[in-house]
Amino acid sequence: MAEPIIIETADLRKRYDGVEALAGLSFAVPRGSICGLLGRNGAGKTTTIKVLLGMARPTSGKASVFGLAADGRETSVDIRRRTAFVSEEKDLYDTMTVGEIVRFTARFYPHWRRDLEEEYLSKFELPADASIKKLSRGMRTKLALLLALCSGAELLILDEPTSGLDPAATEEVLKALVSHVARQEMTVFLSSHQIAEVDQVADRVVIIDRGRTLVHGALDDLRGSYRRLRLVFDGAAPELNVRAPGIVNVRRQGRVLTMLASEGVDRIIEEARALKPASVDVLPVTLKEIFLETVASEDEHALV
Amino acid sequence: MLWYRSWLDTRWRFLIGFALLLFSACGTVVAYVELGNLLSTLDTPAIEGSGTLGAAIGEAIEEAIELQRTYRGFVWSQWFDKNLTFLGTFFAALLGSGSPFSGAGRGLLFSLALPVSRGRWLGARAGTGLAELLVLAVIPSLAIPLLSPLIGEHYSVGDAVVHGAYLFVVAAMFFSLALLLSTVFNDVWRPLLLTCLVAMGLSLGELALRADGLFTLMSAEAYFRGGSLPWVGLLISVALTAALLYAAAAQVARRDF
Repeated sequence: MAEPIIIETADLRKRYDGVEALAGLSFAVPRGSICGLLGRNGAGKTTTIKVLLGMARPTSGKASVFGLAADGRETSVDIRRRTAFVSEEKDLYDTMTVGEIVRFTARFYPHWRRDLEEEYLSKFELPADASIKKLSRGMRTKLALLLALCSGAELLILDEPTSGLDPAATEEVLKALVSHVARQEMTVFLSSHQIAEVDQVADRVVIIDRGRTLVHGALDDLRGSYRRLRLVFDGAAPELNVRAPGIVNVRRQGRVLTMLASEGVDRIIEEARALKPASVDVLPVTLKEIFLETVASEDEHALV
Repeated sequence: MLWYRSWLDTRWRFLIGFALLLFSACGTVVAYVELGNLLSTLDTPAIEGSGTLGAAIGEAIEEAIELQRTYRGFVWSQWFDKNLTFLGTFFAALLGSGSPFSGAGRGLLFSLALPVSRGRWLGARAGTGLAELLVLAVIPSLAIPLLSPLIGEHYSVGDAVVHGAYLFVVAAMFFSLALLLSTVFNDVWRPLLLTCLVAMGLSLGELALRADGLFTLMSAEAYFRGGSLPWVGLLISVALTAALLYAAAAQVARRDF
């Protein structure tokens, strides 16, 4: 049986002062998944999160979390009661100490996990009497993550959680996240432009660009359906219709024609054989390749 | 907990304001001793100006000197009509400047992600600020009846409370205006500056027109002179404060972050 949908957007649009930040975004995140929202800077990731959390109102389209409208005044509070959020800036209250913000935040969440609070304070080596103002970027991130993980929320939304962290701190934060999710039943929606980070922790991915969904689905399905086809010809490689269904992009380089196919690989191979190549290789692709080439393809379409 | 967060935001402004007002109230009592010595050596001078303006100025000076001859008049003119009105208006604007949604880097997104409506956030901020303003308006004023016996004078606690309450009610309008402006601007300084400019404009207008206005109401001059309470002015002030707070809540509710 399919898991119920936790986050759903349909033709979601958001316009700020004449700029279309979201231009018809549609995707769904099922319960229990770790979904990575991938996109370049300015692709609309943070705007998507702000709409889901009721911080920004959509211009049109639908956004719902737990089946509740994200733009309703009452429903938005209900959504946030069941959702924890870590912002990119980790802009916590500088006037409080670690202990104060933990006590402050605990009051808002009916299922606050006191046991995890103690565990993470110790694990992240966060002194309760330390002023937040004096915490390093890494320590602030850990504190923000602690507040989110202890909230007992069903959904965790993270906006560029490792932004500004060194590799060691990034690894520590991601490990803590994965270990937590493995123990607790929760859905994670993680925005990032770090492909390796998403590849490491996510089981689903949504790739967006210019406020539109380019690719979304389970990572295993994407890895299974996306293939790179390399056709080597005896002479110069022929022209190929780049708009053919299933072909994300095509590169010609001398005698070699390289294609990224998102679906119908067998059909595309059959069609390619009609071009009489000397050899056809079918290669697996990484998430990084899927991301970079779908975004590059979008750039080419935008130029056409 | 929202109150605590609002208190952390405004506590230094409040504490500085409280210290200044308390110091000023104590100074008023002490100053009367010196002024009393000076006035006892003087007869009321006959001041006559030429022309309408000159006559008006002469009258005002005579009245000001007359007020200083009684302790009650001195306290009203120096404290309730001048220092408290000026400082009270400034600190009302200062306490109202900066909503919970002003400026990045102060936990803005953290606040917005908590399961609390924007209206509740603003309500807590307004409630905390108004409570602080009430303390600023009343407590330093109560220092006057408390300290007066030390210089052999008496000042009614009831009068101090009434004057403080009037200042609070009228200054709450400036607080609410600053709060409304804080939902539009992202910094603390523009709402403060604009509110102070509005207050200065109203004050100068009152002086120029020689008409009773907000500042006359704030000093409760009618109560000082005749013992009557200007209920209409009071109700209008409360209504305007409520309207400004409602506008602030509506502005915050429709805003994108």
